[in-house]
Amino acid sequence: MMAFAYTLIVLLVLTSILLTMLILLHRGKGGGLSSMFGGGVSSTLAGSSVAEKNLDRYTVLVGIIWFACIVGLGLWMKLAQNGAS
Amino acid sequence: MSSPFISAFKTPDLRKKLLFTVAMIAIYRLGATMPSPGVSYSNVQKCIERVHNSSSAGIFTLLDLFSGGALLQLSVFALGIMPYITASIILQLLTVVIPRLEQLRKEGQSGQAKITQYTRYLTLGLAILQSSAFVALARSGQLFGNQCPEYPIVPETKLPMWLTVLALVITMTAGTGVIMWLGEMVTDRGIGNGMSVLIFTSIAARLPAEGQSIWQTSPYKFIAVLAIGILVIGFVVFLEQAQRRVPVQYAKRMVGRRMYGGTSTYIPLKVNQAGVIPVIFASSLLYLPQLVIQLMGQKATNNSVLVWIDRHFVQHLNDPFYVGTYFLLIIFFTYFYVSITFNPTEVADNMKKYGGFVPGIRPGKPTAEYLDFILSRITLPGAIYLGIIAVLPNLFINFVGGNKQNFPFGGTAVLIIVGVGLETVKQIESQLMQRNYEGFLR
Repeated sequence: MMAFAYTLIVLLVLTSILLTMLILLHRGKGGGLSSMFGGGVSSTLAGSSVAEKNLDRYTVLVGIIWFACIVGLGLWMKLAQNGAS
Repeated sequence: MSSPFISAFKTPDLRKKLLFTVAMIAIYRLGATMPSPGVSYSNVQKCIERVHNSSSAGIFTLLDLFSGGALLQLSVFALGIMPYITASIILQLLTVVIPRLEQLRKEGQSGQAKITQYTRYLTLGLAILQSSAFVALARSGQLFGNQCPEYPIVPETKLPMWLTVLALVITMTAGTGVIMWLGEMVTDRGIGNGMSVLIFTSIAARLPAEGQSIWQTSPYKFIAVLAIGILVIGFVVFLEQAQRRVPVQYAKRMVGRRMYGGTSTYIPLKVNQAGVIPVIFASSLLYLPQLVIQLMGQKATNNSVLVWIDRHFVQHLNDPFYVGTYFLLIIFFTYFYVSITFNPTEVADNMKKYGGFVPGIRPGKPTAEYLDFILSRITLPGAIYLGIIAVLPNLFINFVGGNKQNFPFGGTAVLIIVGVGLETVKQIESQLMQRNYEGFLR
């Protein structure tokens, strides 16, 4: 059981870092605060490139693994606590 | 009212956009309720309940408002969009100070993209700082004002503590990154501006719980609050839509054998050109003294300055000093933000370039001065209105006895909800207009 937890937590740390990197690689589309809350009308109608699409795919994949790790660790914690008390 | 909805869903790509936005919101809410690894969900719930019952001043109420209750639960998306907002504010202020950023901003699209990229880096930097601060606060029990020492928020497990804490901090940081990405995806492929849609979601998610807590104190109060809320919403919609139309006449000109121009349009100058950003700026600034007091902890009782700040800015949010400072800050930031976003000289130059003029005013510098004059006069009621709406809940605290800033039907929450809602509906409508359907707003 301990090995399982260690694997998960290491995987979680790794995927978190990877996920952050991948997100930073994306081209920012927010446009900052100026377009927020009705500050102005700005719409960029540029379609996403192939590279961007692949990036999206990887990000989603890593994101799913990251999510699964969190859920797995949460379950492990619950089981461990129930065992202790 | 229902027919535009139906036609919106009948249009294939609009339907796709709406469904995409809803899916992103669902992911966001899921992450906001999911506890981070290492945090004991049941212990956190017990602590929150105790803090609510004791009705002590919640320190992170505003932050909690923006994160939709995720912060106090220390969920995966605990930090919410706050780091992104803070980063945007910092960069927005820095453009005035640092010439290089100013140059980038004037460069147009590519420069703007670079600034956005800087904002993203800064967001993650801030996220690391904030998440470590919150994890530290949570572990020492200060997050809940030392009120539940017997329920550790990060309980001991068989894993070494440093690893758990590291994983917590990194997960929260990555969570902030994911929120940023979700927001960008909504902006890109969904409806409305992603960041504001997410803020809207987290505020709206709180409304039922807040309403229930008021209902429990007394149903009459609930009805009164509801009535006031509807009044305030009507007022906000009225003033958000208000604008002054400066007429512009375009001269006719010949290009080759074709005739161009000769139309008369107008420049819409909104009463509240700045949106809710001044309120967010001001409340973020006023949250700083609370944070300082919180971090100083016991040491604060010895320093007279800190005691004064504590008495006027932290203990009672309906203190005249607090309300006054808040009001003045909002007025200042409204003017500041309008001066950043709307440049009369630029508008006047553009008009001159295309042969446009305001009837009775000479093009060029006089037009710029005229626009500036109108803008600075029209912004004054706008600023005062923003200030009054934002301060409203602080004045009503005695009456409602609710949860300070979280008072759901006034202030920041209503401004953001109405602002974002109007903006999003307008965007849907413009999409519908392209296909000749009647819209929501008439």
